[in-house]
Amino acid sequence: MTGSTGGPGLWNATVMTKVMLAVAIVLSAFPLYWMLVIASRTNDDAVEVPPPFLPGGNLGDNIQAVLANEDAHFMTGLINSFTVATVVTVSVVLISTLAGFSFSRLHFRGRRLLLLTILLTMMVPLQQMGVVPLYRLMVDLGWTGTLTAVILPYLLNGFGVFLMTQYTEQAVPNELVEAARVDGASTMRIWWSVVLPAVRPGMAVLGINTFMLLWNDYMWPMIVLTPDNPTVQIAIQALNERFSTNYVLIFAGTALSIIPLIIVFIAFGRQIVGGIMEGAVKA
Amino acid sequence: MSLHLEKAPLRVAAPPPQGNGRRWRSVLDIRAMPYVLISPYFVLFAFFGLFPLAFTLWYSLYDYDLAGTTEWAGLGNYVQLLADDDFWNAVVNTVGIFLLATIPQLLLALLLANALNKRLRLRLTIRMSVLLPLVTSVVAVAVVFTQLYARDWGLVNWVLSWFGVDPINWRAERLPSWLAIATMVDWRWTGYNAIIFLAGMQTIPRDLYEAASIDGASRRRQFWQITLPMLRPTLIFVVLNSTIGGLTLFAEPTTFYNGNVDGGSQGQFQTVAMFIVKQGFREFDYGYAAAAAWLLFLLILLGALINFLFVRRIGGTR
Amino acid sequence: MTTKRRGSLTAAALAATALAIASCGSGTTATPTGAPAASGAAEPVTVRVQVFGGGENFGYKNAVTKWNAEHKDVQIKLEVLTDQFEQVYWPQMIQWLQAGKGAGDVVGIDEGGMGLAKAHPEWWADLGEQGLSGRQADYPAWKWENGVSADGKVFGLGTDIGGMSICYNKTLFEKAGLPTERDEVGALWPTWDDFLKVGQRFQGKVKDAKFTDGTNTLYNVVLVQEAAKNGNLAYFDKTNALVVDKNPAVKTAFDFAQKMTQLGLTAKLRNFTEEWATGTKKNAFATVGCPSWMLGVVSGNAGEGAKGQWDVAAVPGGGGNWGGSWLAVPKQSAHPKEAAQVADYLTSAEVQASVFTDFGNMPSNTKAQQDPAVTGAKNAFFNDAPIGDIFAKSAASLQPVFLGVKHTQVKNAIESVVQGMDDGSVAQDKAWQQLVDDAVKAAG
Repeated sequence: MTGSTGGPGLWNATVMTKVMLAVAIVLSAFPLYWMLVIASRTNDDAVEVPPPFLPGGNLGDNIQAVLANEDAHFMTGLINSFTVATVVTVSVVLISTLAGFSFSRLHFRGRRLLLLTILLTMMVPLQQMGVVPLYRLMVDLGWTGTLTAVILPYLLNGFGVFLMTQYTEQAVPNELVEAARVDGASTMRIWWSVVLPAVRPGMAVLGINTFMLLWNDYMWPMIVLTPDNPTVQIAIQALNERFSTNYVLIFAGTALSIIPLIIVFIAFGRQIVGGIMEGAVKA
Repeated sequence: MSLHLEKAPLRVAAPPPQGNGRRWRSVLDIRAMPYVLISPYFVLFAFFGLFPLAFTLWYSLYDYDLAGTTEWAGLGNYVQLLADDDFWNAVVNTVGIFLLATIPQLLLALLLANALNKRLRLRLTIRMSVLLPLVTSVVAVAVVFTQLYARDWGLVNWVLSWFGVDPINWRAERLPSWLAIATMVDWRWTGYNAIIFLAGMQTIPRDLYEAASIDGASRRRQFWQITLPMLRPTLIFVVLNSTIGGLTLFAEPTTFYNGNVDGGSQGQFQTVAMFIVKQGFREFDYGYAAAAAWLLFLLILLGALINFLFVRRIGGTR
Repeated sequence: MTTKRRGSLTAAALAATALAIASCGSGTTATPTGAPAASGAAEPVTVRVQVFGGGENFGYKNAVTKWNAEHKDVQIKLEVLTDQFEQVYWPQMIQWLQAGKGAGDVVGIDEGGMGLAKAHPEWWADLGEQGLSGRQADYPAWKWENGVSADGKVFGLGTDIGGMSICYNKTLFEKAGLPTERDEVGALWPTWDDFLKVGQRFQGKVKDAKFTDGTNTLYNVVLVQEAAKNGNLAYFDKTNALVVDKNPAVKTAFDFAQKMTQLGLTAKLRNFTEEWATGTKKNAFATVGCPSWMLGVVSGNAGEGAKGQWDVAAVPGGGGNWGGSWLAVPKQSAHPKEAAQVADYLTSAEVQASVFTDFGNMPSNTKAQQDPAVTGAKNAFFNDAPIGDIFAKSAASLQPVFLGVKHTQVKNAIESVVQGMDDGSVAQDKAWQQLVDDAVKAAG
């Protein structure tokens, strides 16, 4: 990353650049900081003008209040969201990696047509477009209020297949596949030992994308779930609706919903940033 | 990310002839496995793609009533919808918020990516910091921003008061409400898009810039003439994602109004997705909601097409 | 009918496949973690009671604590789902009732939802089967009959009734140089015109607060008062035909709301929103139209710290009956017997009386209405206001306003216009026409 051969200072950060980055970082962090400030104070502080800018000492108490509040179903929400996001992420990554391999490196009749179909369906926001029949279906099956109802519609992910097709094309040379073929390896064997190791960054970026999509999904769970068995977004919204002016409780809840993600993010930051960047260019 | 379809790979050479059974198996493997591998996707597609689409169409031809009656309506829902001011209001809001959010977002992301592409200390930390908003929860963010934008005790109005601005009723006035929602969207996505752009920028050979600067091209010129055209594939990906996300916007505006899908007293910020939920799950007119869903789909197709043409122009016809 | 059957057939056909996908595609079987556990004799039965409303609306907190201490085998779980009945609570409830899943064992229904509830007897358990038909003796005829469905099934037991007053913020009144004693305050405004004049006086002195919360609360107060003069009709006549443009009550209430906003007397807050609730706490407005149940909302929103700061005065224009609710047991409840017991308990004279003395909701139960504890009740939060005197006296004479099947939809549409006129998103001169148009559309 050192373009040292260039004209003088072509790749050096100017003062403007540094200022801009500093502003960007402050803006990125501020709402989160603000959330902690309110979550650690009292309800009276929360509506003061001018508002408080320093954290208070009640964070622990407020978080305990959220967790202890049975109506909030907050732990259930966190666990449910984690379950839903993990199940869908693993399934989508697996399905997409298999299909991507097939589309990019195997030969079969109808390949281009089928791939085009996927491209077209990428544009369809199924969970929104199909919300009426999907809901009626779940009612008829008696699955409203269950996580199955949230998971099923999201297993279909055209973007994933598209991404993995592109990625496999870039990351797995055709010659490698042919060589393995000549050695007598079966298709699944090639997928396992040639393709999988090479497409890991692509899987990572798809995995992160899918996980975030499910974690943040709101409309469909809001329709199909009930308040006693929510996902985390529904739990926050319920907190927001039920305790409308209990700001510290609501903000402690939002902080709680974010903290696990931030811990994961800090722990795996290098891999996540690297994965997103590598996944983004190769596909 | 490029949107091209590579030509079909070379026909795989037949494996060396071996025992009969083994050969059969390997022929089967080569002929059938490709279909087996893509089949999970297409099975899912049948159930959760074709089925909802077809049934959305089916539902949209009926008139549902809260009292529990169902009547054949033919194209009645569509006719009614096209003449419904509330629907068009939702379309205008959706497109308005989308443009208000996406244009500054992409420009900022490009600028930010350009800055991140310089030689910097603490590179990883800085990149992680701009990605931070991505790992939050959408409703949590909306709750925080909604409080910041509160009319009477909000931080934003307090700051504006320093400049003599009267308190803005962010949820009652149309443009301010759009702005407030656009900032929520941008806060979450600008950093992520910047990182994607950065990845794209790093694939651009540096000697291109060096040659250009020897020729005396200014930095700004370099950005427009080298960076942007070379980023085209990335741009397509980012713009397409923003379009689909923007045109189906739901969580932020809903949370902005206490979980109510009316989107303001007069639907100042009701999006099409909220309109669909209101019709289907507040008024229980499933048919009307289904018809609106189809029109949303058309809107997205149109949006994707416009994007595509637009991005094509940016990059010239390489 | 055919659509429905076909939908179910497809669903059934898909069920097996989808199940297979779910289990083999994911590797993990997702199970609902919140599923009620109904097994085991030792396990107490949990009866979920779902209600709505801000602050301490319904006021069941103490009654539930008492029940749970006395009944180890049946525990009540009280869930206040949201402040907003029309926009959030009722549509969700309808969705769960239609789906046959999701609703609590006992659910609260506001008067506005009763038209629809009556029209769908299939949603509700028969309380008569649980031996509650005898409760008829406890209620005025109209309150009882509204809880009986079209086919004669008892499904809802009345909780509270409206009654009417004005809650006012003494600190702000003092600041404006107005009297603060409730009798003197009531004497300031025998009519609504007087009320507006007091508002102007108030606004002349006080700049950092408004005279009243918004347009909607008092709009509803005037509407029910006027409805009583117009055949007890609001938005629908008794054949469920929309009469918004024909009923003079609606226009009178609208005109009054418009005057308030034009005189700049409103804080432009919509009732039952979070900003409105915070406004109560932060002294953003001096008066709120207060049916009896609103007392609990105001005290809950203002918080303990505001004790004694608010008081209750007589309402201009005489009494009125806004609001009041019922409790019903959805058919989907797994414990209809226990649920009926709980509904019976929560609507009993004893609980209704204690809710009134603790929070202010006027009992609909006639035995409770005559209870000396009720007629002599004072409300500690509201400066020991003699609420028994204020509300109980008029209770027997209250008449129900007829509300149609689609009342909540129309109410929401109309109040959105009344609010829009206040917050500036609806032009003053077009507001009435839009109100009529939107009502027609909502009644669809």
